[in-house]
Amino acid sequence: MSDNSQIRPVIFDPKLRLNRSDVIAKVRDLSPNLASVDDQVSPIVGSKAEALKQLGRLNPATYGRTRNHLDGAVTGLSPFVRHGVISTADIRDQALGLNTPKEAEKFIQQLAWREYWQKLYRENPNYIWNDVEPYKTGFDAEHYADDLPEDISQAKTGVACIDQFIAELLTTGYIHNHARLYVAAYVCHWRRVKWQAGARFFLMHLLDGDPASNNLSWQWVASTFSHKPYFFNLENVEKFSGDSVDTRFKTNKTLAGSYEDIYARLFPNLEPKT
Amino acid sequence: MSVNDGIIWVHEDAISLDHPVVAAAGPGAQPIFIWDSHNHDALGYSLKRRVFIFECALDLDIPIYAGTPKSILREVANGRAIYAAPSPDPYIAHVLIDLQKDHEVVPVDARPFARIASDVDTRRFFRFWNQAKKTAMLSTQELEASQNTSRDDA
Ligand SMILES: Cc1cc2nc3c(=O)[nH]c(=O)nc-3n(C[C@H](O)[C@H](O)[C@H](O)COP(=O)(O)OP(=O)(O)OC[C@H]3O[C@@H](n4cnc5c(N)ncnc54)[C@H](O)[C@@H]3O)c2cc1C
Repeated sequence: MSDNSQIRPVIFDPKLRLNRSDVIAKVRDLSPNLASVDDQVSPIVGSKAEALKQLGRLNPATYGRTRNHLDGAVTGLSPFVRHGVISTADIRDQALGLNTPKEAEKFIQQLAWREYWQKLYRENPNYIWNDVEPYKTGFDAEHYADDLPEDISQAKTGVACIDQFIAELLTTGYIHNHARLYVAAYVCHWRRVKWQAGARFFLMHLLDGDPASNNLSWQWVASTFSHKPYFFNLENVEKFSGDSVDTRFKTNKTLAGSYEDIYARLFPNLEPKT
Repeated sequence: MSVNDGIIWVHEDAISLDHPVVAAAGPGAQPIFIWDSHNHDALGYSLKRRVFIFECALDLDIPIYAGTPKSILREVANGRAIYAAPSPDPYIAHVLIDLQKDHEVVPVDARPFARIASDVDTRRFFRFWNQAKKTAMLSTQELEASQNTSRDDA
């Protein structure tokens, strides 16, 4: 550091080893405008050692078979990738070292999604908060609410599995890709709320919250960056979630039904799905 | 560390000392992290996001400053070169553009994941993947070697 520098670092002690409560106190101290009501800290710890621990569990072949299941062999690496603690190139190298290219391909293709969204972000920064294309739901953007209703942000929608996913997001800062799809579809299509409101909420809480991966995935669900809206039914949640998710009919009624029924309910202005 | 060595801005998109920017800056360069709580406020970051980011930065054992990147970087660099990983994030990009007015700013890319032609059709993922696949399925070492070869060919 230059000698005539007037400013001093707030932390500059290579031997400093803070325990977690000291870290939290320091973050609060350095974040004077952070509302005190927000008191959740994730069990996921930020460090290179943690990233390498997760990487050590990588099994690309099993990943390819199970990744859509909420309890499947996904890596949990996204918060570390988001903040550059580990690079997609390093993760790819690890994957190629573990399995044949054919077995590793599905996993590397998923990593490529991140590269794809980042490329779009670099080239089209205006995509991040604006509809890339019109909605293909039979509704225009003005039919969607601007703000996220409080029952959603507080995990009190009354739809059991959705509340479980949101509660997990609030407490841990991480949910599985399929849970993200379910919550996003619920917000956009069941509640008819603009994807921007949902995206903003996710960015507050996801440790991997990334303007490109997040907002463009929301647009993919909403149909403003895809050919058709993404939606699901209770049977699909049942199929992909383990026993820990409440998928009973009586606590998730609005999600129950055939794809044709739900399509007709959510998108009444579109031609019936056959 | 000599007065001529540069500094490295370790920002929130590249919280790592393994990033090629560190090697490019050389052993005497000083990496620093800047904690800008106003930016976190503007983004609405929850406590858990902030704790995660802070932990990642703390893990590097580098000086952490609190405040606005533009002014802290100016003051710490004090005319020396500033190395940084480029980022599509306008917040980071604007800081680097602004610093170029009075400093040498050296952007250094991450290790490549794939080699993709700039005119690839990005409207849908699978068109992108069909092109990216050939190089994304190579190891980084092979990819870098093939990049050098194609540069030599050109
Ligand atoms: C509505 C919605 C919002 C999302 N928001 C984010 C976000 O803010 N940040 C984020 O990184 N991802 C986001 N994703 C993509 C995906 O859900 C997460 O990357 C993934 O669940 C992270 O878990 P993992 O590390 O266990 O993934 P794995 O399946 O183990 O994949 C390994 C790595 O590949 C990358 N990756 C995998 N799938 C995707 C994908 N579809 N898009 C982008 N990158 C991917 C991630 O870096 C991930 O860490 C979102 C998806 C949806 C549907």
